[in-house]
Amino acid sequence: MAELVIRPLTRIYGNAALRVESEEGATPRARFSAFGYRGFELMARGAHVDNLVPMVSRICGPDSLFHQAAACMAAEEALGVQVPPAARTLRELALWAQLFERHAVSLAVHSLPDLLFPASDPGLRNLVSIYRVDEEVVRRLLSLKSLVGGRQVHGFNFRPGGAVRDLRPESRESLAERLRSGEALLLETARLVKLLLRRSEERVRTAGSIDGSYMAMRHPRGMEIGEGEPALLVTGEEGGEPRPVVDLGSRLREEPSAHGHVVYASLEGAGELLVGPLARLNVNGSYGTPRADEELAEVKETWGFPVRYPMVAHALRMLEMIHAWEKMLALLSGPAEGPLGGGLSVGAGKARAYLEAPEGALVYGLELGEDGMVRDLSIISPLQFNLRSLERSLAEAYAATVREGVEKTADVLQMVVRAYAPCVPCGVH
Amino acid sequence: MEIALLSLSSCLGCQMVFLSLEEYLYELIGENKVVYAPFLMDRREWDHADLALVEGTVRNTEHFLRAREVREKADRVVALGTCASFGGVQGLADLYPESRLLRSRFGDTAFEGGPQGVKRLLPLDSFIRVDAYLPGCPPPVALMERFLRAAVAGDRLSREGSTVCAECGVTSPPLPQPGPRRLTDGAGEPGKCLLESGFVCLGPLTRDGCGALCPTEMGVPCRGCRGPAGRVLERAGVDMEAETVRRLSRATGKKEGEIRAEVADPPRTYYLFCLAEPLLRRRRSGGTSHYIHRLGEQ
Ligand code: SF4
Ligand code: SF4
Ligand code: SF4
Repeated sequence: MAELVIRPLTRIYGNAALRVESEEGATPRARFSAFGYRGFELMARGAHVDNLVPMVSRICGPDSLFHQAAACMAAEEALGVQVPPAARTLRELALWAQLFERHAVSLAVHSLPDLLFPASDPGLRNLVSIYRVDEEVVRRLLSLKSLVGGRQVHGFNFRPGGAVRDLRPESRESLAERLRSGEALLLETARLVKLLLRRSEERVRTAGSIDGSYMAMRHPRGMEIGEGEPALLVTGEEGGEPRPVVDLGSRLREEPSAHGHVVYASLEGAGELLVGPLARLNVNGSYGTPRADEELAEVKETWGFPVRYPMVAHALRMLEMIHAWEKMLALLSGPAEGPLGGGLSVGAGKARAYLEAPEGALVYGLELGEDGMVRDLSIISPLQFNLRSLERSLAEAYAATVREGVEKTADVLQMVVRAYAPCVPCGVH
Repeated sequence: MEIALLSLSSCLGCQMVFLSLEEYLYELIGENKVVYAPFLMDRREWDHADLALVEGTVRNTEHFLRAREVREKADRVVALGTCASFGGVQGLADLYPESRLLRSRFGDTAFEGGPQGVKRLLPLDSFIRVDAYLPGCPPPVALMERFLRAAVAGDRLSREGSTVCAECGVTSPPLPQPGPRRLTDGAGEPGKCLLESGFVCLGPLTRDGCGALCPTEMGVPCRGCRGPAGRVLERAGVDMEAETVRRLSRATGKKEGEIRAEVADPPRTYYLFCLAEPLLRRRRSGGTSHYIHRLGEQ
C-alpha cells in the first residue's frame, strides 16, 4: 500500500493534515483531517442571547460576521422580530465586505502564488518570496484585501433585532471612494486569474470533479447572501433545473468522522454535496450585477456550464469579489437613514437560519427558552458539507498525478485543497 | 531579526490583522524577517526565530507539542491575542469537562490517531514560558504595529497599563439610571457612560489599548476583549463580577443582590474573554472557580 501524508497543510485557513492511501488496482482513499473541537455549541447552551453574538463570532475571524449574522437571524426568527431596512442594509454591506476580504486573502495569500509560478519550488511560492523579486505584484494583490477598509474581524455592529450604529455620511463617502478607486485593479486581477487558469488547463481538468448536488441560496436577482431559498442542482442531469430544498431542517444529517473533528454534513436524498462559489453560480446561473456577469461569459465559454472543476472556483471567487464590489457601491448610494431596531423582548422560540458564507452554506439552528437563554444551538459550516467532495477530488487528483512523483503529487493535492479554500476553524467549531 | 507566526487552536482573526499591517507588513516581509508562517508560506521546518508570535490556545497534545517546539526554537515568545494571553472566548470550554464537550459532539466515536484533549483550557503561559503579551480579540491593527515595532527593536514589553475607561470619552449621566441593562434592551444615550447608565460595561476592568472602541465609536458596552487590566490580575481583592455588580448597584440604586439576580448568564457576561485565566480563579469577593467544572475531572 502506498501512502502520502502532508502534515501540516500550508497556506490554508487553519491547521489540518492530509493522508492518501492507495492500493494497486483500487481507488485511492483521501482523508482531510483537523482536530481541535472548541465546543461552541455546548458553550452556547445557557448563554444569554446578548452574549451569543460576540461568542459565535470567535468561531472564525475571516468569517466572523457571517456567524454573527446567522446567530442574529436565527434569534430574530425565533423571537418573531423584524429587522428594519436600514439595519438590513448595514448588515448586507458588512457581509459583502467580509466576503470580499476573505476571497482576497484566499486568492492573494493562498492560491495565486501557485498559479503564478506553477513551475517553481513550492517553498518559494508565497508572498514573502515573491516580494523579494517583484514588490509591485504583492502590493497589488494585498491592496485588494484592504480595499474594503475598516474592521472586518469580530466587528461590533450586529445585534439581534438590528444594527448598532449607522455609517457616518463621511465614512460612506470615503468607503465608496475607496471602492471606486479599486475598479481597474479588480478587473485586471480577474482577467489575470482567468488567464492563469487557462494556462493550467490540463491541471484544472484533472484536479478533481464534482459528482452529486450543488446546494446554494437561489434568488431571482442572482447571487445573494441571506435572501432567497436554498436550492439544489443535481450534477450530470442534462438541462437539469435547480429545485428548491424542501424541508431543509428535517433532512440535514451529521455524521462524525473517525479521522478528525470536522463532522460530515449531508442533506438526505441529495447525494454528495458541494456548497460555495461553484454551487452559487451553478444554482443561480449568473450573478445579477453587470460587471460580474460580463466577466462570467468568458468563464462559461472556457469551462462550460454548470462549472464542474473545483479549481475554477479561483476565478469564481474573483467574480464574486466584483459582484460584492458592485453590491457595496449600490448599497452605499441607496438611502441611508432610518431606525436601526430597538430593544428585544426575549422569550421562547426555535428557528433555523441559512446563509451563504464565503465558502458556502452556513446553517444555524437555535432554540431559546422562556427566559431568553439559549437552550440549544447547532451549527453546520461549509467545510462540513464539502468534506466528502473535497476528499473525493483529492483521491481523483492523486490518481491522475501519482505517476509524476511524490513531490509533484503533494504539490497538486495542496492546490486542490486551496481550490476549496476550506475553513478549518468553521469546520471544527 | 527572524519572526515566526503560527496558530494553535484559534479563529485566525489575529493573523488576519497581521495581514492588514500594510506598509509595516511590507517592511517585515521585505527585510525577510518572516521565517516561518504556515498561513502564508509552505516552509514546514524551521530552526530558529528571534521572535515567535503564537495565536490561540492549547486544546490538545498536538498544540502542546507545537507550543513546546516554539519555546525551544524562539528566543522570545509572544502570546498573540486574547486566546493565547487569557484563554479568550474558547476559555468558556472550562464550564464543562472536556469529556462531556467531546461526547456532546462526537458521541462515542473512536478517533484514529488523533491527539489527546487537554483537561483544562488555560492560557499559553500555563504551558510554556511567555515573554510578552499582545491581547486583543483581535488586537487593533495600530496597536499590533506599535507592539511589533517595539518587540522587533528588542524592547522589554510589560503587561502594565491602564483601563479602557481611561481612553473613553464619555460623560456621566444623572443617577440613578434604569438597569441592569444589555444591548438587547435597546441603546443607551449617546456620549454617556454606559456603566453609569446601567449597562454591563467591563471598561473599568479591561486593559487599555483599543482606544475604547466600543463605547466611544459604537456606543456599546466594552465586553472585555483585551482581557483583564493589570490591576485586576495583580490584586487579589478585585473580582470582575463583584466589581461590576458593585458599580451597577451604584448606577441603578438597586441592591447588589438584586443586580446579581437580574444579570443572567454571569460567566459569559463578566468573563467572556478570560474565564480560563488562572489568576482570576480565587478572589476574596468571588473568583471564577465556581464556574469551572473541569477541576478534578477523571
Ligand atoms: S484572540 Fe480573538 S481574534 Fe485572536 S485568535 Fe483568539 S478569538 Fe481569534
Ligand atoms: S462607557 Fe464603559 S469604558 Fe467608557 S467610561 Fe463608562 S464604564 Fe468606562
Ligand atoms: S472597548 Fe472593550 S470590547 Fe471593545 S475593543 Fe476595546 S477592549 Fe475590546
